Amino acid sequence: MVVDAAATVGIDIPVYCYHQALGPLGACRICLVEIEKMPKLMTACTTAATDGMVVHTQSQAAEKGRRGILEFLLINHPLDCPICDKGGECFLQDYVFQYGAGQARFEEAKIQRHKEYPVSPYILVDQERCVLCQRCVRFMGEYVGEEELLMDGRGVHTVITNVPGIPLTSPFSGNVIDLCPVGALLSEPYHYRARPWNIEREDTYCSQCPVGCSSSVTGRDGQVVRLEGRPTPGQWGWLCDHGRFTYDFGAHPTRLTEARLDGEPVTVGRAAQVLGQRLAAVVREHGPDAVAVLTGGSHTVEDHYALRRFADEVLGGSRAGLVKPVEADLPLALLGTFAELDQSDTVLLLGTDPYESAPVVHLALRENVRRRGLVVKALGDRHLLRDTLAGEEWVVEPGGMAAALAAATAGVSEHPDARLAAEGLAPADESLVRLGQALMEPGALTVLWDGREQDLAPALVALARARGEHPTRVLPTFGPRNWLAAARVGIPTDYETSRRILMDAADGRIQVLLLWGADPVRDFPDGDLAARALERCPEVYFGGVFPPDGAELLAGVLPTAAWAEEAGTYVNMEGRLQTGRGAASAPGQARPTRNILQAVARAYGTPLRKLDEWDPYEGTVDDRLVLPPLEGSVRPVSPPPAAESGFRLISGLEVALTHDPSEVAARTKEDRPARMHPADLADLGLLTGSGPVELSSGDRSFRVGVRGDPRIPRGRVFVPRGLRGVPINRLGGIAVAVRAVEEVASR
Amino acid sequence: MKTLDRHYLLRHRDVPGIDTLQGYEADGGYSGLKKALAEFEPDAIVDLVKASGLRGRGGAGFPTGLKWSFLAKDGRPRALVVNADEGEPGTFKDRELIEHNPHQLIEGMLIASYATRSPESFIYIRGEFLHGHEVLQRAIAEATERGYLGDRVLGTDFSHHMYLYRGAGAYICGEESALLESLEGRRGNPRLKPPFPAVAGVYGLPTVVNNVETIANLPPLILNGAEWHRQWGTEKSPGLKVMSVSGHVTRPGNYEVPLDATLRELVEMAGGVRTGHQVKAVIPGGSSMPLLPAGQLDTPIDYESLVQAGSMLGSGGCIVMDDSTCIVAAVARVVRFYRDESCGKCTPCREGTYWMTDVLDRLEGGQGELGDLDTLLDVADNINGKAFCPLGDASVGFMVSAIRNFRDEFVEHITGRTCPLGARLYDTVNY
Repeated sequence: MVVDAAATVGIDIPVYCYHQALGPLGACRICLVEIEKMPKLMTACTTAATDGMVVHTQSQAAEKGRRGILEFLLINHPLDCPICDKGGECFLQDYVFQYGAGQARFEEAKIQRHKEYPVSPYILVDQERCVLCQRCVRFMGEYVGEEELLMDGRGVHTVITNVPGIPLTSPFSGNVIDLCPVGALLSEPYHYRARPWNIEREDTYCSQCPVGCSSSVTGRDGQVVRLEGRPTPGQWGWLCDHGRFTYDFGAHPTRLTEARLDGEPVTVGRAAQVLGQRLAAVVREHGPDAVAVLTGGSHTVEDHYALRRFADEVLGGSRAGLVKPVEADLPLALLGTFAELDQSDTVLLLGTDPYESAPVVHLALRENVRRRGLVVKALGDRHLLRDTLAGEEWVVEPGGMAAALAAATAGVSEHPDARLAAEGLAPADESLVRLGQALMEPGALTVLWDGREQDLAPALVALARARGEHPTRVLPTFGPRNWLAAARVGIPTDYETSRRILMDAADGRIQVLLLWGADPVRDFPDGDLAARALERCPEVYFGGVFPPDGAELLAGVLPTAAWAEEAGTYVNMEGRLQTGRGAASAPGQARPTRNILQAVARAYGTPLRKLDEWDPYEGTVDDRLVLPPLEGSVRPVSPPPAAESGFRLISGLEVALTHDPSEVAARTKEDRPARMHPADLADLGLLTGSGPVELSSGDRSFRVGVRGDPRIPRGRVFVPRGLRGVPINRLGGIAVAVRAVEEVASR
Repeated sequence: MKTLDRHYLLRHRDVPGIDTLQGYEADGGYSGLKKALAEFEPDAIVDLVKASGLRGRGGAGFPTGLKWSFLAKDGRPRALVVNADEGEPGTFKDRELIEHNPHQLIEGMLIASYATRSPESFIYIRGEFLHGHEVLQRAIAEATERGYLGDRVLGTDFSHHMYLYRGAGAYICGEESALLESLEGRRGNPRLKPPFPAVAGVYGLPTVVNNVETIANLPPLILNGAEWHRQWGTEKSPGLKVMSVSGHVTRPGNYEVPLDATLRELVEMAGGVRTGHQVKAVIPGGSSMPLLPAGQLDTPIDYESLVQAGSMLGSGGCIVMDDSTCIVAAVARVVRFYRDESCGKCTPCREGTYWMTDVLDRLEGGQGELGDLDTLLDVADNINGKAFCPLGDASVGFMVSAIRNFRDEFVEHITGRTCPLGARLYDTVNY
């Protein structure tokens, strides 16, 4: 289009309705230009640029046309810029200032409409300010595929609104606030909170899931008050609402703001001093093996670097590991990128529904399907496709994904590794052969995987080798958000390392366990082991932002600075380093990890030198981790667990539920996190389609709110991982008993 | 003007009972279809229509045969859509054709569908035409029962299915792309072109959208040939046209005339204006067109002559205003119509019609200022050629021509602080 061609040579043509992700519409007419050999003014957003075309953006005719449109837009637009949230960052203000007439000629009455009309708990519509560019309506209806905003009325009485009585529920709804070029769609939590001239607005990356969406954080008076999407080359700048509206987590009442020793508040300096002295004494007496460090993968790369050097240099080679909520390890050699996803011919959703686990990736998939016909396949223990993402899916027995994938590969490929992985498995049936054929298609394959089922790692390696020259990439949708930071600095990220550390702690071989942002009791797949470790290890210290499960067992707590409170580097799910800046200050005594560890190191007697001279980007290529080659042999995949009677437990990761505690995002937080097929709920007597149930296995049980979801196969209970008060990792097996109970005792 | 010995489009005026299948067949109905299927290859019909010089009767006057030949030739099934959303103020020709001679429309649609190789056709009928809808429903049922519609029409290899869809009362849905949006069940807003309907029309199929009257021309054209059609009208505007004459004439109604009739002849056919009054101005082609003052009454109605005179034939809705008409009130009423019928998609039409309506109401009420006339003309200039679809241009044509031809009358409203003709606008309440 002419408008894009002009932009490439630095000529700015104003637009409202046009957005590259949404395509041309031609509604607002602000982009009128004069094109030679055309009889009338043309809209630059709907006219394709052609060779030899001569376009005038500043001719008398073009300027009059543009000025006329701006005048039209203003006749029913209120003059309330001084109290408008968008005042100062509004394209109507900007363009009127740049191109508009100095004086208004319209002297009639303006139409009055709804102002501050809520269309969702997060979004207000000011219909008077709306210029009817339809960006929001088209984004929701066409791009996201959830038609929750619509145009009502006709002509000058047209307004943007929701379906009457039905608020927006899409997790992508917040993007319409960013898309709105004027002050019509407003963030309710940001409403009247700040003006553009008294805020800090800094580039950052969302901290709530491993996608790491580029965003802008707004800070005012030391507090984060807003998060917006930020377009970057190749990315539209979408956010999901779980990330967008969790920005206030740093000010949450449960945030750690003071240091504690044995439950008593102390200064951070005192706590660091005691910790340093205790570590020194333990290492002197028992050696470095008596101390171990576990990271939760939420702190920055710089923090992880400090942690790594602390373990190596101060503690003299203590062990370190990563606590993640899944049991499998991604062969890093297969780590893919979003750019590769955009080039892929086929995508496999492996156990994961990106709409839940990495929402913005769902949008990327949908765009690829719509724009270029990307083929989507899904293999899972529940239905992973949705109305907004079509494809073909295979639903297998719980715990049976690895066996299915290995058998499907071996059913089509003669590759020795494919055969080895499928050794001992039943041969692929017709359906799995079809899956194998789809996965062995030439061209590029990207797998989205949530890290469940340890045997999926060898099955994926076998698939990649069987595909040979055709690229096979894996994008891990599991958290923690910054787990690849551990990989960046050389902290082992595999399940086995952290399991051994916890075993040794549980067996009394570790005297001091240092948890840095790690919450093993809640997150570690073997929750019993983690609980034993915390109970039996003599001294457990915790540094982080929110207290972990079992906080009463801690010997000491050190509050650390959080995202947006300092500049720091994160590594997203494609292994890309992203440095965000700070826009707020750490509350209370919370301090950057590096400062705390340095204080501990000094008390220990071994200060860390030149900690700040390290460059996280050193040795990366295109800001991305350098991946190891695909090595090692493939092991046979275990057969799927035998089918059992009764309900079976399945799980997954949901950003909507596992994001940081937030008072803003709590407005829409689901309080019935578990899901079952509606018919199963009815069988349990939960005829309203939701309610509290008790899940039990052996002598373990817990209560959780459950709601109906036809995408969960019958006979299965889906419970998300990593939720406080929902100890799915302590139930043991996958066979569970489910019964309806009176009251909800969960969360 | 050559006098007609009989009606061709308004055949029902000569032949009672032609609205039933029996009556239509008795008058030789469907023999055009039979001739087309038996004697013509589809492309030969396209050539015949091209040779006849038949032009679209919906308003734009685009050559029909040429439009058909633009259909994408990529093997996708095509569709014919008949625009029966006759909403142009002053125009009521399609309504009469539908209500009194429905089978001629159906026969014409079958010929057009055969010529364009369209297995399906759609009639989008104006929501207010409830009676016409019922008539067409019955006529389609009759034609289906008789084998004119359905699989293997009259035993040939040509199969055709016809669908009737009633609009919901929006003027904008007479614009072909908004019609297609509405037909598909969406909000009636015009579509971006390209792609043109000939490439991606209804449900994305290559589509021809034709006006009812255009289609009604086809049966006699097939039977009588291109030369017969060319005996009327002019070289560039041949054929017959149903003109809707309304306003201050004593016998308002539809008149089938050759395209070289003059406006004066039309007014006379309609009985002239009331005794003691003179024609003040005529809008020749529906309210979207500029008016022509009485001095231009001898202009022929062919497409070219009217453009040369400063107006357009449009849909053929000829509105006659005598000297009792307050031109300011007339303009205010017409512009209000466009304000109410603007779909709201594009800025200039949506906001500009609102602005002009308010100013015109004020002018008519004697509250105008001299600067208002320049403002109105400038607002009109900011709409004209800058709106998304033709509705924007349509909203200003009459007003601009009125100010140009009757500026003194506008000024009198302003200086006299009242309407010199004592006209009253009904419903001037802003809502």
